[in-house]
Amino acid sequence: MRRPLVALFTAAALLTATACSSSGGEKPAAGQPDNVNAGVIAIVDVAPIYLGKQQGFFSKRNINLTLTTAQGGAAIVPAVVSGQYQFGFSNSISLLLAAEKGLPLKVVCNGNNSTGKDGEDFAGLFVKADSPIKSPKDLVGKTVAANTLKNIVEVSVRASVKKDGGDPAGVKFAELPFPDQLPALQAGRVDAIFVVEPFQAAAVAAGAKKIASSYVDAGPNLTVAMYFTSQQLESSNPDLVKRFTEAMKESLAYADSHPDDVRAVLGTYTQISADVRAKLTLPKWPAEVDTASVQTLADLAQSYGLLTKPANLTDLLP
Amino acid sequence: MNRTVLGLLGLVTFGGLLEVAPRVGLVPAQYAPPSSRIAAALAEQARQPQFWAALGDTVQTWLTGLAIAVAAGLAVGVLLGAVPMLWSVTATTVEFLRPIPSVALIPLVVVLYGSTIRATVVLVVYAAFWQVLLQVLHGVADVDPVARDTARVYRLGRWARLRYLVWPSALPYVVTGVRLAASVALILAVTGSLIVGSPGLGKEIEVARQSGAAPAVYALVVVTGLLGVVANVATRAIERRVLAWHTAVRTEVGA
Amino acid sequence: MTFVRRIILAVALPITLLGLWWFASEGSTNYLWPPLSRILTAFGDTWTAERLRADVVPSLTRLAAGYGLAVIAGIALGVLIGGAPRVRAFTEPVLEFMRAIPPPVLVPIIMLVLGLGDTMKIVVIASGCVWPILLNTVEGVRGRDEVLDDTCRTYGIRGGLRVRHLVLRAASPQILTGARQALSIAIILMVISELFAAENGLGFTVMQFSRGFQIPEMWSGVFLLGLIGVALAAVYRLVEAWLLRWYHGQRLSRREW
Repeated sequence: MRRPLVALFTAAALLTATACSSSGGEKPAAGQPDNVNAGVIAIVDVAPIYLGKQQGFFSKRNINLTLTTAQGGAAIVPAVVSGQYQFGFSNSISLLLAAEKGLPLKVVCNGNNSTGKDGEDFAGLFVKADSPIKSPKDLVGKTVAANTLKNIVEVSVRASVKKDGGDPAGVKFAELPFPDQLPALQAGRVDAIFVVEPFQAAAVAAGAKKIASSYVDAGPNLTVAMYFTSQQLESSNPDLVKRFTEAMKESLAYADSHPDDVRAVLGTYTQISADVRAKLTLPKWPAEVDTASVQTLADLAQSYGLLTKPANLTDLLP
Repeated sequence: MNRTVLGLLGLVTFGGLLEVAPRVGLVPAQYAPPSSRIAAALAEQARQPQFWAALGDTVQTWLTGLAIAVAAGLAVGVLLGAVPMLWSVTATTVEFLRPIPSVALIPLVVVLYGSTIRATVVLVVYAAFWQVLLQVLHGVADVDPVARDTARVYRLGRWARLRYLVWPSALPYVVTGVRLAASVALILAVTGSLIVGSPGLGKEIEVARQSGAAPAVYALVVVTGLLGVVANVATRAIERRVLAWHTAVRTEVGA
Repeated sequence: MTFVRRIILAVALPITLLGLWWFASEGSTNYLWPPLSRILTAFGDTWTAERLRADVVPSLTRLAAGYGLAVIAGIALGVLIGGAPRVRAFTEPVLEFMRAIPPPVLVPIIMLVLGLGDTMKIVVIASGCVWPILLNTVEGVRGRDEVLDDTCRTYGIRGGLRVRHLVLRAASPQILTGARQALSIAIILMVISELFAAENGLGFTVMQFSRGFQIPEMWSGVFLLGLIGVALAAVYRLVEAWLLRWYHGQRLSRREW
């Protein structure tokens, strides 16, 4: 009877000891590469950073990059602010919201943009094939599924409705994760969905009808997401931030010009099947942040009540 | 019929039901694939090294968290039980902290540990600790009064009382606590990995979900379920071994 | 122990901890750890009667419905399974399998069948908290006194009467233990069920605060969850004391000598 107890306690002690000793984040010696932890989401948008790491753009600038996937901006932003991650990836509206609340963030470089081509974007507003809804203005009074409420999807879809002549405030949104949106649409539980790749490919394959490319309607060359760091890191180690930014710009340019490499690297960090990967519409990856498009987003967000005051882009953007 | 055979038969019947339901149309087959497709996806997963790494991470998180929770639960429970004044002081705090869902701790844990295994271990320990603690408290309080009086008559010291009096009567409760904690710990290990994004089966499930790969999602879910079955079998075996001498008392002890 | 003394003992530790928290966090500029004073102010501002009615009441209603469903289903199934050892051996692996599936994964599956409304959320809550009740009922039914069992058989007491007076009565301490655990789980699932396709609710509101980086409001919501948990636990203790008065009396009397 005593042996199991002793074994249990010993096991607990050993395991606790191992758990405690495996701590990370040690300061490298001078001349050693910097250990950098970047928080990303396992989606199509972040392919450039994976590609850049694969191509050695980071290691040649003395950056030992570790990519950690998280669930969303709401998880990445606190982790960057508290120093768990040195850099993070988040959508533009989340960053604007965070900046308004006074979080000490600084955007370092662009993330990904809309392709700018109506009907050929990497995201789309879909309805069922036999739906009576023919164009965005018919969405007034109806429910659209968005993966996060009060964020970029709401802003973009409302912009689509306004552009089509409808009242943007009349659209209702239901929060539903992307994977669950298409089943909900087909079962008639929501009237329209706004999805990104690879769910757009799935929607098309299921026969859904695209009625708008909302990211294009919101503004030209829309900056959907960006990479950012904490103001603390920027002031304490500006050289690291500069090197990371340069590596990212090189990665973005490479990804934008090598779509086949992008489709290949997608297979390493997602479970998207090979045939879906071949058919995806990829986002655009300009190396520079399009300040005008971020301003457009900020203005739209303010007009729909997501932001309470005009955004201070000079402080936030590089 | 032998108990193991019956159990296996149960699992097989369940698998059969899952094969039939999508084909018959009870659930949309596209999003809830039949067992045969799930099995194929599982074979596919087993070929990828990252699946085994994730499985190892989840098992490690689960066992580490469970061990810490049991050790802490035992220590705190025995302490609170032995010194009644401590319990009357801490009771309200315990009752307040207990219902706070581990999901509410997630922002805290992400800030402290990022998306590492340690973050998930903290969640696991927090949830499993209460299971063990409460059972230990029940056990310590349920000492047979006759035995307690006998010990006092024979002037057994505090340590001897703990060893010969408290421990045997608390043991069935402790074992039950470990069994409950084991299943809660597994659920939290996978759920934590899923929500926080720390390495493990949960993270793989979420990645598969975001990639629209439904059969892979279900394959990973099946693996999680099987881990639950394994956990149950293992803890039942330990229970039988440790409480073999206690079967007389077992019938009145809770599950 | 006098009433006053009991109250003092009960609140001493919480007040001390709160005091420590207050002073430790007072000068905090870290946005994730706002000063306790700000959280308390946010508590007053956020949880107005309006919001309580719009968010907390629907959440609690769903919680009650889900919990009730779990209790009925758990006890019914538990009595059936616990009464026959063959059935138990057959179903136990399957039940342990389903129990281990993490709720966030189960929700999309349930959504496929039940859609996005309140029914889905109630079923999600029930699906998680049925397990302690079910498993405890099975153990309780299994462990009933054999002498009483034989007595019933000798006197020809069968069917509903037997279930009520023998099976349920004997298993009730265990069932109530399970019901207590199920309560904690129900609160967790209430929050999780509102992370998907929700438009109101306590969990939903806390999540939206977290997404919008409104941190003091978020912490005030977590606080409220804790308070609700304490309140429900107190209510539970009253119900348990009433239902099990025969059991507590029996044990007390055994202890007297």
